[in-house]
Amino acid sequence: MTIDIQPVDGQDFVGEISGIDISVPLAADLVAAIEAGMDRFAVLVFRGQPLTDEQQCDFSRNFGELEVTLISQMLKPGERRLGPMEMGDISNLDATGKLRSRDDSRRMYALGNRLWHSDASFRATGAGYSLLSARVVPGSGGNTEFADMRAAYDALDAATKAEIEDLVAEHSIAFSRSQLGFDDYGEGNADKIRPVRHRLVRIHPVTGRKSLYLSAHIGGIVGWPVPEARAFIRDLTEHATQPQFTHAHRWRVNDLVMWDNRTTMHRARRYRDLHEVRDLRRTSIKGTGQTAEQFLSVAAE
Amino acid sequence: MSIAIADLTPGFAGEVSGIDITQPLTHAQAAELEAGMDRYAVLVYHDQKFTDEQQQAFSRNFGPLESSLGGNITRPEERRFNVDMADVSNLGVDQKPLPRDDRRRLFNLGNRLWHSDSSFRAIPAKYSLLSARSVVDRGGNTEFADMRAAYDALDAATKAEIEDLICEHSLIYSRGTLGFTELSEVEKQQFTPVRQRLVRTHPVTGRKSLYLSSHIGTIVGWPVPEARAFVRDLTEHATQPSFTYVHKWRRFDLVMWDNRSTMHRVRRFDETQVRDMRRTTVAGDSVTVEQLAA
Repeated sequence: MTIDIQPVDGQDFVGEISGIDISVPLAADLVAAIEAGMDRFAVLVFRGQPLTDEQQCDFSRNFGELEVTLISQMLKPGERRLGPMEMGDISNLDATGKLRSRDDSRRMYALGNRLWHSDASFRATGAGYSLLSARVVPGSGGNTEFADMRAAYDALDAATKAEIEDLVAEHSIAFSRSQLGFDDYGEGNADKIRPVRHRLVRIHPVTGRKSLYLSAHIGGIVGWPVPEARAFIRDLTEHATQPQFTHAHRWRVNDLVMWDNRTTMHRARRYRDLHEVRDLRRTSIKGTGQTAEQFLSVAAE
Repeated sequence: MSIAIADLTPGFAGEVSGIDITQPLTHAQAAELEAGMDRYAVLVYHDQKFTDEQQQAFSRNFGPLESSLGGNITRPEERRFNVDMADVSNLGVDQKPLPRDDRRRLFNLGNRLWHSDSSFRAIPAKYSLLSARSVVDRGGNTEFADMRAAYDALDAATKAEIEDLICEHSLIYSRGTLGFTELSEVEKQQFTPVRQRLVRTHPVTGRKSLYLSSHIGTIVGWPVPEARAFVRDLTEHATQPSFTYVHKWRRFDLVMWDNRSTMHRVRRFDETQVRDMRRTTVAGDSVTVEQLAA
C-alpha cells in the first residue's frame, strides 16, 4: 500500500490523501508518511473512511495521546451522547440523538465554533492535531473552513512581524463565548475558563516555520489595554483569514479531515441545524507544551 | 465653475471637484450634491480648509445637525467643541494625544469596528461629514462598505430570511465586543438599546440596503449567540473588498457619507501622533421601526 497526497487548490496547505485504509492498524512507516504530509501541508483530507468511534480513537493515537474535550469535562455523564470521553461531539444532537432545540444551552455553546479558532488554545499546552470524521452531513451549508497561519504570518510586513514577535496572548473559552453573548457554564466549571497564555508567534517544532497563533479564544494581550488588544487581534484575524489563506471543506459522509492546530485556524459555517442532522466526531491530540517551551527558550537566548 | 463627480469606486465613492464648499452654496448646488449622494453614497472633496463654523454651515445644507451628545463617554468639561461637532480625534482638551489607558481612548477604539453612525439612536443619522484637520503619516485610513451592493449580492433565500428582521443596537454592544464594559449607571441608561430594521429602504432611491453596525447586540426573537453569529456572517459578507472603498486621508479632505446605506471603520495608526478629525452629522428624520414603549 502506497499513499499519495495531492495538493488541493495547488498549494501546500490542504492535501487529499489516497491509497490508505485508516480503519485498521497502520505500520510505522505509514504513520510517518502521514505525519510528514501533515508537516508539509497542515490539513489532510481522507475520503471514504467509514469509522467507528473506537477505530477513530485508535487511528488518532498513532499521533499522540488523546485529549478529553472540555465540554465532556463540563457535562454530567448522562448529558453525553457518545461513549468515550475522548470523542468530541461536534453534532447538533442531544444525548438521546434528537435535534437540539433552538434555545438549547449546548447549542448556544457550540455556536462558538462559527468563530475562527484553534482547538484547545484555551489549554496551557494547546492541541496538536484534530481529526474530524463526518458520519452524517446536511444537504447544504456546514462547511468547515481552514486558514493557513504560516502563510498569514509570512505575508505580514516587517514592522508588524517585529511588533508581534514577543507578544503573549491570553486565551479562554469564556472569551470566545462572550463574543456571542454566552456565559452559561454551569456550576463547578470556573477552573475550566481560567485564561492561559500563549505566544502570538509560534514555531513549528518539526518544520521550524513561524505561524500566527490566533484564536477566537484570545481575550487580551499581556501588558496591553484590553480594547486595544482585541481590536488588534481582530485586525490580525481578518488578515489571516483572507481568501488566499483559506480553504473551505465541503463534507461528504465518511470524510476524515485532520489538521494541525499549531499552524491553522478553522471554523464551521451556518447550516439548517434545527432541521438537518450534522453528526461530526472529533478526536484531538494533546499538545506537548510547545508554547511554554518556546517562551522559555526564546527568553534564554 | 461647475460641479463634477468622478468615480473612485464605480457607483459607490465619488470625488467631487469644481466647487468650494467652505463658502455658502446655492440651492441648486446643494441639490446637485445631494443627488450625487443618492447616486454614490460616499463623496470626497479635497483641499477644503474649513473652520468649524464653515463645516457646520456646509452640513446644514442637507438638514438639521444631530447633537453629538449621547454618542460617547466624554464629560462636558473634557469636550474640545460644542455639541454640533463630534470630536473624532485622539486628543484631549490639552490638544495632546490621550494616554494609552485613557478611558475615552479605549471607548473610541470602537470606531475600528464596522459601524453606521448613530445606529444606536432611535432616529439614526442621515449623513456624516468628516473633515481632516491633521493627519498621521501612515495608517488611520477610513474604509467604507456599500450596504446596497452587499444587499443586492445576497442570495434569494437570505433576502427572504432577513426581510423583516429587527435588530437591537447600543454602544454597550460594540464596546462590549472589545471588552470595554465598565460603564456607569448613567452611561448604561444613556446607551439603552434601540431597534432598527435589518433591511432598510432608501427614502429617495428606493434601494434596499443591509442596515448592519457593530452596535448590533441581537435580533429580536432570536437567541443572542445565534443572532450574533449570523450578524457576524452578514458583516463579513458585506465588507468584502468588492464592496469597499479605502480612503487615505490628506489634510483638508472632507468626506461625506450616507449612514443609511454604508458602514465605515477607521484603521489602526500610531496614536502618539496627532490625528484631528472633526465630524458633523446630519440628523435623520424617521425611525426604521417602531420602538418599544419606554
